[in-house]
Amino acid sequence: MLCSNRRTALVFKVSNMKAIFMTFRVLIVLLVGCGVAAASVVEPTIQSDIYNARDRVMPALVHIQPVIKNYNTGELEKQTVVGSGVVFHPDGYVVTNYHVAGRAERIICTLSDKEQVPASLVGGDPLTDIAVIKLDLSDYRGSISVAEFGDSDSIGVGQYVLAMGSPLSLSRSISVGVISTRDRYFSPDVRLPSGERTGRYNLWIQTDAAINPGNSGGPLVDLDGRVIGINSRATLYANNLGFAIPINIVKKATGDIIAEGKVTRSWIGLHCQALQELENHFGAHRNAGVLISSIDPGSPAEHAFLKAGDIILKVNEQPVSARFVEELPAFYSLIADRNPGDEISLTVLRNEQAYNFKVATRTLGDLQGEDFECKDWGFAVKAITRQMQIENQLSDTSGVYVVGVKRIGTADEGGLRRADVILKVNGNDIAGLVDFIGQYNEQVQLEIDKVLLTVKRGGSTRFVLLNLDAREDKQTDEEDSRQ
Amino acid sequence: MKKTAGSKKSLILFSTVAVILLALMPLRATAQEFDFQKLQQAAEKYTVIVNIKIEVSFGMHSTEQEERYLGTIVSEDGLVIFNGAALAGESPMPSFAGYSLKTTPTRIEVVTMDDRTYEAEFIGADRFTRIGFLKITGAEGEKFEPVRFATGQSFEVGNWFTLYMLMPEFISPPVSVDIGMISNIVTSPEFFPLTVGFNQLQATSVLYNIDLAPVGVLGGLMNPTESMDQGGLLESFGQIGIPLLGVITGERLEKLIADPPHKGKPTSGWLGITLQALTHEIGQFWELDIPSGIIVNDIVKNSPAERAGLEVGDIIFEINGQQLEIDKDERIPIFQREISELGQGTAVEFTALRRTGQTQDTLTLLTTLQEAPMAATDAPEFESELLEFKVRDLVFSDYLFYNLDSEQLKGVVVTELKPGGLAEIGGLMIGDIIQLIDERTVLSTKNVETIMGDVETLRQDEVIFFVWRDNKTLFVNLKTDLL
Repeated sequence: MLCSNRRTALVFKVSNMKAIFMTFRVLIVLLVGCGVAAASVVEPTIQSDIYNARDRVMPALVHIQPVIKNYNTGELEKQTVVGSGVVFHPDGYVVTNYHVAGRAERIICTLSDKEQVPASLVGGDPLTDIAVIKLDLSDYRGSISVAEFGDSDSIGVGQYVLAMGSPLSLSRSISVGVISTRDRYFSPDVRLPSGERTGRYNLWIQTDAAINPGNSGGPLVDLDGRVIGINSRATLYANNLGFAIPINIVKKATGDIIAEGKVTRSWIGLHCQALQELENHFGAHRNAGVLISSIDPGSPAEHAFLKAGDIILKVNEQPVSARFVEELPAFYSLIADRNPGDEISLTVLRNEQAYNFKVATRTLGDLQGEDFECKDWGFAVKAITRQMQIENQLSDTSGVYVVGVKRIGTADEGGLRRADVILKVNGNDIAGLVDFIGQYNEQVQLEIDKVLLTVKRGGSTRFVLLNLDAREDKQTDEEDSRQ
Repeated sequence: MKKTAGSKKSLILFSTVAVILLALMPLRATAQEFDFQKLQQAAEKYTVIVNIKIEVSFGMHSTEQEERYLGTIVSEDGLVIFNGAALAGESPMPSFAGYSLKTTPTRIEVVTMDDRTYEAEFIGADRFTRIGFLKITGAEGEKFEPVRFATGQSFEVGNWFTLYMLMPEFISPPVSVDIGMISNIVTSPEFFPLTVGFNQLQATSVLYNIDLAPVGVLGGLMNPTESMDQGGLLESFGQIGIPLLGVITGERLEKLIADPPHKGKPTSGWLGITLQALTHEIGQFWELDIPSGIIVNDIVKNSPAERAGLEVGDIIFEINGQQLEIDKDERIPIFQREISELGQGTAVEFTALRRTGQTQDTLTLLTTLQEAPMAATDAPEFESELLEFKVRDLVFSDYLFYNLDSEQLKGVVVTELKPGGLAEIGGLMIGDIIQLIDERTVLSTKNVETIMGDVETLRQDEVIFFVWRDNKTLFVNLKTDLL
């Protein structure tokens, strides 16, 4: 068990390393936890508060072992990972991290009474790194406990907190610490192990409670026994730098996930930056306005003729401000929380003159598309979402994106590469994943021995021939040699 | 600058070394067939030692190092060839994130075997063979005795060669002989007689056959699909990996000597396509009558290929009536080199197949080759001492590297930041593409120079950069220390 947990931790480290190094240079964020034991110096009243908080939340604590799917090697690979969670609804809903269970195929949970129950994925939201699973209590004979959510807006720096979960798979563990800061900002360019960017819509509660891999998804609890955050990250090579997603963000995400299986957001295609250093240059007033730094191509903001350098003073007549980066998530949420399709009114400062813009919002949509393994051809693809299109500088969402190519397989030999976009299969246009699966199934069923893929690689069109005859010959040779 | 020491000691030294080698060598029977004394008499006239001081810069750091090479005078007016791998530096792709490792010869000295010393200037290095070219200066009116490479030679396995090799500086005499033989006549990816008995340090040494005819120089063969810039077949020495050594023939050398590469002044021809080989499998799949050729993957705007009317998917199978024997990607450099060596301004006729549905049309297309785009290492640079950064003009390869459209993104790329300097502190990053400075458009390093001049004149305390980074734009405020 310990062994598998260590493996999980390693997977997470390696996956995150690149993105986070790029963004923070030094800060390497990992799975959650909290706690520096300070028992010997705390007063008896605090000790009793800790006991009280423990008793209110521990019964709702869940040790989670999801089996997650990975297609990066070109074929479906399954891994068991370990994380934590907490029951927050009497129907058996458990909140955890998206990076723990958001892509789970099968989930086994161990409750605080050590009983194991299966669970199923309700849905997840990579942007806040939150997922909801539902316990299957049909064969469970105990009684389920539910933890209470607190209010993360009313927490204070220096306040005692408890982190609960399964650090290094050691279930039912508690660590103690304080809130180090309540508004830690991370660049939204940080990626989850599954590749999605995360953190655009939330800040983090930083705590010195000990955090280790396996704490992910577990609750950060105040001394009143209320969950004020979901532990999500820790810093590698540092002592007690842990980060939790504020519970008020979690409340909204879990509500949406239970209702719809996901969090739906509006999108207009804006990227903003803090004004602090640039107020003078743009003639903006202190604490007034949000600076647009970039606009996604083809986005509603571009269609509305907004441009980088514009300063948004009001959204639907509500004044907005982002002098500091810590104010950006709230601004992004203000737009994201509108109903997709709503028109929003922006008051914008341009060349020191105020102008009004109307922008029709659209649905943000999925960050990543659905995966599909082409077992017979030796590679895996995913559907291309609009966000992937923007990120990969593609002209549209047609085709499918190659997520992995199996080593020494037919596609590898044919020259297919990761990140190629397949536009045609044997001359037939591929509009999207459904089209592709249709073509794949048809070619496999007809036992077509040669398949020509037309792919886009960078700006170039390339032709990749899958010689399935050769594969069969090789298999026959292998079988012969075994005999 | 000429120094004569009129000594005949080198003759004695040559003979001594040759005799020692003969005594020691297990291949005595063959070695004795070489008339080393006769060879020495001929070779000492054009064999030289090249001492080069090279400035190596990476980021804002630079160091100077001294290199010694064995050189050979190849023209009466003092053109010298040597192993130019360290100075070739012509990777078509910009180095990672805009960093460029640059090598600039600062002082070159050529010493003849009779101890005359001349200054020389670096002309350029061939991208494919890595042969460097120097021109002796300060010897006006002096006629040198050059090597005259034998052409029309036939090569067979078992042919013996000898060459001169440079000894370490602490050893005297400075040159020695070595022998080796042809081990294989490689025919694919292209004709290349492989040798055994020689080593990489002997690269570009003249190879003499048993009749003492200078049949070529020692070169290297690497798999072009695995090399860093896929520059060509006969590249090596500056690359990762160990090349196979062999003969760069007299024919090829004569071409190079007649028109040596000039650093920063590309004279080679360029068509403006990306391409892949027409393999037998793809040819069969498309039911083509041609055995080989190249498939056009992409066409650069306003390039000779576009003017010729080529289209993506066309298959070029003849150039100037000559069949293109490109049936695997490893052979693509043959085509690239052929185009390169035809030179800019050359009219070329292509015969191509265009497939439309089930029909195939044969087209004859004419175009005039254009000058190859400037390499990143040759692009104009500007260093701002005020803000402590360096930029260079964007070049064609940047657009390929970033998958950008040259019409959409203009600017200069940040290549260097002084550690702890004002630009680094202000948040500029290597690889940023600067589009605007203080709202003024930046199209070239000249613009940056002008704007930074104005900043100093006006004694501005801050400068606002608008940059492209990671597929988005943002503003960067750099504080000067002018106030």
